[in-house]
Amino acid sequence: MGTLDYIWLGILAVFQGPELFSIFGLPISVTLVMILFGFLTGIAVGATPGLAGPIAMAIALPILISIFGYTPDALLPVMGFLIGVMKGATIGGAVPAILFNTPGTPDAYMTTLDGYPMTQKGQARKALRVAHFASASGDTFSDIVLIICAPFLALLVEAYLDFPEKTALLILSLSFIGAVIGGSPAKGVLSTGLGLLAVYIGTGEDFYPRMSMGSDQLNQGFPIATSVLGVLIIGAVFKEMTDLWHQRRSSGTRPSFQDEGNQRLSRAEIGRLLPFVGRSALIGTAIGALPGIGSTLAATLGYTVGRARHARTKAEGAPDFGDGAPEGIAATEAANSSVSGANLIPVLSLGIPGNAAAVFLILAAESIGGFNPGPSVFRFTQDVVNPELVIAFGLFTAMFIANALNWTIGGLFMRSTGIMVRIPKHILLPTVLLLTLTAIYVQEARIEAIWFALGFGALGYVMRLLAISPLPFVIAFILGGKLEESARQAFAATGGDAWFLFGSPISILFIAASVAIILFSARRKKQEL
Amino acid sequence: MKRTLKAAIAAIGLAVSATAGMAADWTPPGPIKLMIAFRAGGGADTQARLIAEALEEKMGWKFIPEQVTGKGGLNMANTLKGQPNDGTAIGLAVTETFGYNMAAANAGMSPEDFTGLTTTAGFQMGIVAPSGKGWSSFEDMIAAAKGGQDIRFGVMSPKLADLAYLLGKAQGVDFNIVQVKGGKAVMNGVTAGDLDVGFMAGIQAKGVASGDLVNLASGLSQPLVQTPDAPTMADLGVDFDSDGYFVFVGPAGMPDDARKALSEAIAAVVSDESSKAGGLVKKAFGGSATIMGNDLTQLMSDDYSNAGTLMDAASE
Repeated sequence: MGTLDYIWLGILAVFQGPELFSIFGLPISVTLVMILFGFLTGIAVGATPGLAGPIAMAIALPILISIFGYTPDALLPVMGFLIGVMKGATIGGAVPAILFNTPGTPDAYMTTLDGYPMTQKGQARKALRVAHFASASGDTFSDIVLIICAPFLALLVEAYLDFPEKTALLILSLSFIGAVIGGSPAKGVLSTGLGLLAVYIGTGEDFYPRMSMGSDQLNQGFPIATSVLGVLIIGAVFKEMTDLWHQRRSSGTRPSFQDEGNQRLSRAEIGRLLPFVGRSALIGTAIGALPGIGSTLAATLGYTVGRARHARTKAEGAPDFGDGAPEGIAATEAANSSVSGANLIPVLSLGIPGNAAAVFLILAAESIGGFNPGPSVFRFTQDVVNPELVIAFGLFTAMFIANALNWTIGGLFMRSTGIMVRIPKHILLPTVLLLTLTAIYVQEARIEAIWFALGFGALGYVMRLLAISPLPFVIAFILGGKLEESARQAFAATGGDAWFLFGSPISILFIAASVAIILFSARRKKQEL
Repeated sequence: MKRTLKAAIAAIGLAVSATAGMAADWTPPGPIKLMIAFRAGGGADTQARLIAEALEEKMGWKFIPEQVTGKGGLNMANTLKGQPNDGTAIGLAVTETFGYNMAAANAGMSPEDFTGLTTTAGFQMGIVAPSGKGWSSFEDMIAAAKGGQDIRFGVMSPKLADLAYLLGKAQGVDFNIVQVKGGKAVMNGVTAGDLDVGFMAGIQAKGVASGDLVNLASGLSQPLVQTPDAPTMADLGVDFDSDGYFVFVGPAGMPDDARKALSEAIAAVVSDESSKAGGLVKKAFGGSATIMGNDLTQLMSDDYSNAGTLMDAASE
């Protein structure tokens, strides 16, 4: 079994998986159809202000699992759907940003700056084309980097990191995520700490359940779906609902603009956009590869760098950034789209999720079983097939199929979703809440799960009120079990050495970096104040 | 008159079926909740789901499989205990759950709170090292340990950790015993070089056959089928062993007809190697082993009462 054999098996796993139907004798696998569904859902969801990719992924996941079951056969269709949503949502977010000056997803905020002015000038469809071109390019670039880097990084980790270093690496990722997400390192670390506290209830290696206060309901700990969906989705819904309560809904009619001039992208225009797309794709990919830094920062950085270049190079009379420059849209969209592929580098090679979308991919893998994202996936065994590696290459194939869909029908579908912005929030939010609770009950099938989820929802709400990002909480909840396990193993493997974290240069480096990152970001914050 | 007649016929029918022990006549009063004490997607989970699938097809019963994992099966046992005992709630765990784990947890549960239905398969528990280590026998490893090498011994349960400890004690060496989650993790650790040796409950078969792994010893009271020359635990000076089975159980006091029908139906499926479930049991666990009825009750209660001796020995 060489590398090429594995790649080929991965591709086959997608195309020859369980057959859904056939066209002219050509079997169409269920995975392909799920990627397409996911992609279209993603665009629609991304185009709806108030919804975002993670919400759709959260609601879809338990439902998909109940349809496909817990067999390894379910992995590719379910994860293919999620990857489709992830990719679709990134391009969908640009639609309301450009057409109505309301970003569909937070990272599309920068797109409004040039997108809406272009709409006002009657160039709406052209702006959408620019967004689509930049987004699809950035995405494809980032996927290529992922496929080259993830196996390599995983092999490196597996070859050089022992139990103590793996523990130190997890500590480093948690402190990094705590320090960089959500603005304030103190709040980030608090959120991380709460996540760890929650995951340690009822779990652990001892037969006696810890911190359950004698309650049978807490014996098994909190199911991962309740905490993740509760804090991320239900918390957000509560917050949006109260915001809605506070603000009077604007009932004004939206202005409409007539198309003017050529809406197509000429070859020369694409040539002008390319340098912006390229830089932003690099920025987005680099940022995406670090766990915890989301696409919003990538978009901001891509836009800023693009603006500096544009100021130097723009033609006489061409619009500035902020006045409807296509380059501005391209710089933003390429940057935020190129985050999504690179974000899977830490997921697949280390098992560490960096953003909400990655959280749901890990959740899918954990719920279905048979695929444990992490270094062990990329074991190129010679004599027996490593099924996890086949799944990994299947996922890469799924990403490229989604890219192909993006290039072909993505633009077309995207330009038709402008209508989504008209869905009123007072109908949307309760629907999301109901669907989320149903989804949780479908997966857990016990009523406590609903109470847990609502409790976590309340926590998520309070965190949002206090401007504490819930993402470190969720990532800590996912990594907490792994952290405890690897720390116990490192302790045992070193023959009961309590200082195992300081036993090798690599782990000392990781620990020093975890402390430094928090101190550094706390100091920088102070200076900014 | 007609009604009395009907009732009489029904009563006679019932009496006949009860005396004849016609287990096949039993049908579950509703869908059967199947609690699986193993992580989704693993061999044990797949086994449970395939058995349920086969029974749905064969008997027309309806199953609702659900994962209740953690605490070495005790979470599942605890949940199952409070369920109705009419055969509508059963669970799959290992005998170790009702033996060592239940005794160690000391959480107010004993095998008497459950009705044993049937075991499905035993474990071919070996003590396995990668061939790259250059050890061809258990003594080679002990010699390496005595030569000053740290030996990381991978285990997947506290009971196995005790056994590994006793093994080291009997041989005069100290292993660094690392507990990981599940046999697959032991195998991954051993192949990746994070662990030097470990207990594997059957998944080593392919690797041993291809020469990548070596069964240094049998963790059982009997020699391994694949490597009959490897010493057993007793040969190595340990009075305990890791003999164990996958076992289906229900809550205590399950009526005999339900118990009989369920256990016989499950046993029939796993013993049939042409069925998907039977095929898996053959492939992954070396064939079915179905112990049921009083034999199983005895086995479970022995495991439970012997656990204390093992714990005492390991804490000496």
